[in-house]
Amino acid sequence: MLSKLAWLGLALAGTVAWGVLALHRGETISAAWLVLAAVGTYLIGFRFYSRFLADRVFQLNDRRATPAERLANGRDYVPTSRWVLFGHHFAAIAGAGPLVGPVLAAQFGYLPGTIWIVFGVVLAGAVQDFIILFASMRRDGKSLGQMAKEETGPVTGILAMVAVLAIMVILLAVLALVVVNALKDSPWGVFTILCTIPIAILMGFWMKVWRPGRTLEASAAGIALLLAALVAGRYVAASPVLAPLFTWSGTTIAYAVIAYGFVASVLPVWMLLCPRDYLSTFMKVGTILLLALGILLVLPPLRMPAITRFVDGTGPVFAGKLFPFAFITIACGAISGFHALVASGTTPKMLTRESDARLIGYGGMLMESFVAVMAMCAAALLDPGIYFAINAPLTSLGGTAESAAEVIRQWGFTVSPGQLTALAQEVGEKTLLGRAGGAPSLAVGMAQILSGAFGQGLMALWYHFAIMFEALFILTTVDTGTRVGRFMLQELAGHVWEPLGRTSWYPSTILASAAVVAGWGYFLVQGVLDPLGGINSLWPLFGISNQLLAAVALCVGTTILVKAGKARYTWVTLLPLAWVLMVTLTAGWQKVFADDPRLGFLAHAALVADQLASGAVEPGRAARLIFNDRLDAVVAMVFMLVTVLVVVASAREWILVLTRRRPAVVKETPFVETAYV
Amino acid sequence: MSEREGAKARGRGVIAGLLTALRRVAGMPDYAAYVEHLRRCHPERPVPGEREYFESFTRARYGDGPTRCC
Repeated sequence: MLSKLAWLGLALAGTVAWGVLALHRGETISAAWLVLAAVGTYLIGFRFYSRFLADRVFQLNDRRATPAERLANGRDYVPTSRWVLFGHHFAAIAGAGPLVGPVLAAQFGYLPGTIWIVFGVVLAGAVQDFIILFASMRRDGKSLGQMAKEETGPVTGILAMVAVLAIMVILLAVLALVVVNALKDSPWGVFTILCTIPIAILMGFWMKVWRPGRTLEASAAGIALLLAALVAGRYVAASPVLAPLFTWSGTTIAYAVIAYGFVASVLPVWMLLCPRDYLSTFMKVGTILLLALGILLVLPPLRMPAITRFVDGTGPVFAGKLFPFAFITIACGAISGFHALVASGTTPKMLTRESDARLIGYGGMLMESFVAVMAMCAAALLDPGIYFAINAPLTSLGGTAESAAEVIRQWGFTVSPGQLTALAQEVGEKTLLGRAGGAPSLAVGMAQILSGAFGQGLMALWYHFAIMFEALFILTTVDTGTRVGRFMLQELAGHVWEPLGRTSWYPSTILASAAVVAGWGYFLVQGVLDPLGGINSLWPLFGISNQLLAAVALCVGTTILVKAGKARYTWVTLLPLAWVLMVTLTAGWQKVFADDPRLGFLAHAALVADQLASGAVEPGRAARLIFNDRLDAVVAMVFMLVTVLVVVASAREWILVLTRRRPAVVKETPFVETAYV
Repeated sequence: MSEREGAKARGRGVIAGLLTALRRVAGMPDYAAYVEHLRRCHPERPVPGEREYFESFTRARYGDGPTRCC
């Protein structure tokens, strides 16, 4: 009875918070309402919907031994207590996506993005993570690609693998672009991030050569050195001798990141990749906890309007209307196809009991969504004028604080040139204008929260701390992603000529690494040279690809439900699938065919062709822009085509099973009774 | 064992547990758990050194699928 009252109270609190958010238009309200509405909804979703999924739909059974128990090998199959595994899973799924997406989507105001982040996760994102984790757990920890192949057929399996590889290329390019935009012309940032490389190598030797296996010790030393590098960065930036050495242009940083990705993929993992992974995991989890604490302590007022006029599609940060682009831009905070790869990777091999999958699969994704809500708070607490000054492309702002203030005034927000210069000075940068990509505005927001909570007057330090933390784990995604891409490519190439498939054969390693790096590197450089800042075209492409991968995962989930004879419950995956397909295919179509050259790739190519004809652009540049537009259009169409094929193949399978022309048999590992009490 | 020593041992146990949890969260190798596993399930096999275990663990962990998300 008491617990029922508590749940009723919680439901009421959440409803009241949503009510406050809905009714307070045109005045600033506290971030507390956003946090309360989100947490209330998560708890209700977890308590009721995830329990329904666990008990009725998946019928999790604690009598059934998990892969961690049956296949325990002390290495990857390790029974792990559920809160520890929750932490592990969260650290693996949380990345730049939930931080950057909401910041960009704040151009529509904080309300549309928040609604999608919170309700999207409860009904779609967490369901996807949970069902894939469940399916993989029942199949000895098989990957999404393998499950697609076994349950729906080899063609779907190969399509899923191609989709993963293609998405990886776009993902790595756009994440690297976020880093480039955050670090260009910032000696402090560049110095700190460069320092992470020798620090990681030092940790690598520590863990492998000097004190084998002492990973925590080495990580503690690494974190201490990293913080020292962060503080030292201030002096580097202030020094007239050193500052120019570390002041790099966007193009230079892009090539440096490409070279780094290649080297990290070829070097033995223990030397660079693995220590950086540890370093970034601790920094990431620590900083996210710190940010949550900061938001709860400060409860900043949200200065961004609930809804801005840019819902009509004229926004400067990225083109496109609220529907479908708010849902594409948020990306990982509400639903992320990429999570299906982790939920079918290390995590299912570590579950002790089947019922733990509910907390880890569903609950882990709720936590990720909460990170997205915090990012939204950090963006919305900025003055809208400042937000747009940081995130709009430099070409539309003009080069100076004065011109930027004037442009932003025309958009209906007030900001003075003095404010812009003062803020840049306060965070220790020359300028913050036109740093699209989400990281810098998130860092300014975080710096305001953290300096408000833990030390006034340390704005510059907190800003660079936030930049360092984001760049660190983004680059970790870049190097691990390049390596994974390299393995996939080697596997595919091995079908053509056997030696190319040997991952230990050096020429094959070099070739495949170079190919993967060249793939994302091309899009990265294209983004850096893009007059609109690149995020404009690449982030939507990433959002589309990530959601289409989610569609593939939901198809696999539906197939598994149908084959398990649970067709009456398939709405749990079919509803999110229908929504994701509707949003993503609409967005993809608009990105390719829209008449507005700001939105449609082909319309932009036509515009450049006109400009070329009238002599407004020089021929070499025009040719490059047109080629890139067409390439982006082809990539978007390939993504859509692959997804539609997977959906059609899956639907055919469902119909065959439902009309009893194919036996309804799932390929689960047979039941084994657990030995645990 | 005196009461104080008992409390000390418990304290050490708590700290060791916390460190293990940290390792698991970051996806680090856990040599002690591995040795324990070998002893229980495969007593006939030789126990590798910590360095060897670290190397094979790292190879396996970064060998296949993505370990980190966007």
